[in-house]
Amino acid sequence: MPQIDSKYVKLAYQYLFNHLPTLILIPVTATASAHLLRLRPDDVITSVQSIHLDRFQILCSVFLIIFISTVYFMSKPRPVYLVDYTCYKPSIMCRVPFSTFMEHSKMNLKDNPKSVEFQMRILERSGLGEETSLPPAIHYIPPNPTMEDARAEAELVIFSVVDDLFARTDLKPKDIDILIVNCSLFSPTPSLTALVVNKYKLRSNVKTYNLSGMGCSAGIISIDLARDLLQVVPNSNAVVISTEIITPNYYKGNERAMLLPNCLFRMGAAAVLLSNKRRESRRAKYKLVHIIRTHKGSDDRAYKCVYQQEDAQGLVGINLSKDLMAIAAEALKSNITTMGPLVLPASEQLLFLLTLIGRKIFNPKWKPYIPDFKLAFEHFCIHAGGRAVIDELQKRLQLSAEHVEASRMTLHRFGNTSSSSLWYELSYIESKGRVKRGDRVWQIAFGSGFKCNSAVWKCNRSIGTPTGGPWEDCIDRYPVHIPEVVKL
Amino acid sequence: MVLSNEESPIYDIKISSVGPGHISGQDAAQELTGMDLAMKLHYIRTVYYFPAQAFEGLTIIDIKETIFNWLDHAYIPCGRFRKSDSGRPYIKCNDCGVRLIEARCNMGLREWLEPRDHDDDDAKHKLLVSSQVLGPDLFYSPPVLMQLTKFKCGGMAVGLSWAHVLGDAFTAASFINLWGQATRKQYPAQPLRMAHYNNEAQNSKSPIREPLSVKRVGPVGDHWAMKNETNMETYSFYASWAELTRLQSSICGDKDKENQQIPPFESLCTIVWQCVAKIKRDSDVKMVTICKKDSGNSFEGVITNKAQRVKVVKTDVPVVELSPIELGLLIMNQAVDETKIIEEVMDSDNELPDFLVYGTNLTFVDLHDAPIYDLNIRGHEPVYVHCGINNVGDEGVVLVFPSREDHCDGVRVSVTLPENYISDVKSMLKKEWSLCSC
Repeated sequence: MPQIDSKYVKLAYQYLFNHLPTLILIPVTATASAHLLRLRPDDVITSVQSIHLDRFQILCSVFLIIFISTVYFMSKPRPVYLVDYTCYKPSIMCRVPFSTFMEHSKMNLKDNPKSVEFQMRILERSGLGEETSLPPAIHYIPPNPTMEDARAEAELVIFSVVDDLFARTDLKPKDIDILIVNCSLFSPTPSLTALVVNKYKLRSNVKTYNLSGMGCSAGIISIDLARDLLQVVPNSNAVVISTEIITPNYYKGNERAMLLPNCLFRMGAAAVLLSNKRRESRRAKYKLVHIIRTHKGSDDRAYKCVYQQEDAQGLVGINLSKDLMAIAAEALKSNITTMGPLVLPASEQLLFLLTLIGRKIFNPKWKPYIPDFKLAFEHFCIHAGGRAVIDELQKRLQLSAEHVEASRMTLHRFGNTSSSSLWYELSYIESKGRVKRGDRVWQIAFGSGFKCNSAVWKCNRSIGTPTGGPWEDCIDRYPVHIPEVVKL
Repeated sequence: MVLSNEESPIYDIKISSVGPGHISGQDAAQELTGMDLAMKLHYIRTVYYFPAQAFEGLTIIDIKETIFNWLDHAYIPCGRFRKSDSGRPYIKCNDCGVRLIEARCNMGLREWLEPRDHDDDDAKHKLLVSSQVLGPDLFYSPPVLMQLTKFKCGGMAVGLSWAHVLGDAFTAASFINLWGQATRKQYPAQPLRMAHYNNEAQNSKSPIREPLSVKRVGPVGDHWAMKNETNMETYSFYASWAELTRLQSSICGDKDKENQQIPPFESLCTIVWQCVAKIKRDSDVKMVTICKKDSGNSFEGVITNKAQRVKVVKTDVPVVELSPIELGLLIMNQAVDETKIIEEVMDSDNELPDFLVYGTNLTFVDLHDAPIYDLNIRGHEPVYVHCGINNVGDEGVVLVFPSREDHCDGVRVSVTLPENYISDVKSMLKKEWSLCSC
């Protein structure tokens, strides 16, 4: 009984404080209306006529009103709409079942049985499924990718996803004003943006930006860049392509901390159409509400925790330090501290403030209050960096299994596709028919640096199923139960 | 073409794996029958030669895509072996895939297929198919390997290495014929399945006699191969159907007589048995094994070893003293079917013995109606197909498979014997029966 009571108390408290302005306004309006209604029509006309204003004062007042309105509307940021987005669906011939991955590992690392054993243990607990994909060049024993293979993969994934975007949004290549591509580990010259400009014959005055080296959170950084540009350039379309090219980055050595990415990273890409055009407000799926970026790079530990380097044999790979989860937790804390006031309802903010004051003044031993982000968002897209990341965030934010389902299932079906994984997750939630108009979505990504970036979207229109996309042929099989350890 | 040791004509070798494009096997456990396990030390190696038009315009990516689609419907050979608690091997259908080897050849197809006067002319076909066996790391060994070798002219050789434990040569042929259908976007209604394993032998009453057609070897452990005591060599010759009719009549004599007609395969068995017996004067060849397809049941859509009947023919009289017709009639009428006995011995022995079947006695394998020319890639048939059975015992193997040479249908007979007998057999066949490889 006390449990149910406290639940109702909490609900009542939330309702009171979240709707405080409304609750104050209602009695005030009621009193004023009651007073006005008591006056007779003659009295009203007399009181209006008694206000003597000459023409000059009237003109000044009007100009003042116009001036204030103009300043207000000019300083309002342009709304940024997400018209639609597409995700890359890998071809069946890129499929790598667990058994094939392990067999190839054994053959590639035949002189290092301990490293093979390590990879097997990682794979068993990784949360990946049997349908993730690696590019054709990595299927060889041993993989010996050339730059041409890397370009081939880039062309394959980027062109596929951009073609889909054109088909879904009826966008014409000449209507692209801003093009941003982010791909952390493959940065050829000419850049990947030049690749797109060349293939689709974009306009000569298109603004292109190619972001490389920024890790798995670069997808949100690209959206942030697009948003800032769309404030400056009126009436424009921006296309953001997020991908990670696996081919040149397969680690050929046997250093354990550097073998981890081989086990988790898989092929993927996403293309997003953003616009600030007023007419897109009707068909756009989402509206961008906030972007919060947190960079912990000033701390040495954070800076070095995801570090690309050569191993003892001179082979290049990405070293993941053992502190990764701890640093991710700290970065998350910073990010949500900044984000809290922007998205949390008044009730949560008040509680957090009161607890903070209490801890500082009265008793430092009070447990810090973790705001309930489930009140601020309906859907969560946590970057599918690995099972540990999702587990950690689920614990810290006190999320239910359904909230993290999109992340877990994306990790299972597609693996860690780096910056594009957030879009696969959103596509999952849409394909399940769970996104309704007005729903708020929180996308959160971690990446090298160490960075934690968040994006908040609000659903602009109802999204019906089926939606097409990468989950089209398999959404009915999901969610699946993912065992703790898969027996190989 | 002289196969010098310095430079192999095959270069630019790349190895990868291809498997089912969609989740197919679902980690199901596929049990193996006693006959399957009895054949585990043998491997069927077939090379299909295609003209340039068959694969024209296809990149390796395109070819791999057809294979991924094909293997969705044939996922059992894509699995890997595991052992149950009792130690009995079974297949885990984990979609691991077949090994694919890409290679190039610096010769043209016509030049390659030109027969040369060389004792082991058959060795060239061995370069185009993998000779890898199962084990020693059994759990990570692929039962099926494919090699795609591109010739200078654009022609392509497809080398299929098939572990006999999966099924016989007919099964192997129907397996790869599905790939041909996949290149034409046709797929079977049901995926290939394996014959069901009945554990009947546990109820056997009397002590079973040892089969004469197999030899216990090993223990081989997890390395499913046997080493020969002597080097084996292969000699093959072609005989058109007209030629075979001539041989038949020269064995049987007049058609009008009441004598039973000896069919072509058995005629060839007679001829080769007599030749080998004459050459091996000291160790008379008194017993041979005959392997033929079970003509009764249909095993369509099934990969199995149950369709092959293993028979043994014994003679008390020295073979050299028998006339061809007598020997032929002996083969026809006195063959003892040992298939069931082999299976019973395998199933009743908890230790799961390692058997050598082909080559324990001089073995004749009848593949003359195997559908090897039915592999149709985008509407093109192979110009030539060469079959071989590898890892056989020291007594040798004689394979009879269909062949199409000089626009004429017939059979090719491939004789594998210890190397010191080959040239004698070759000259005797030419002298007494006018059979040669030209």
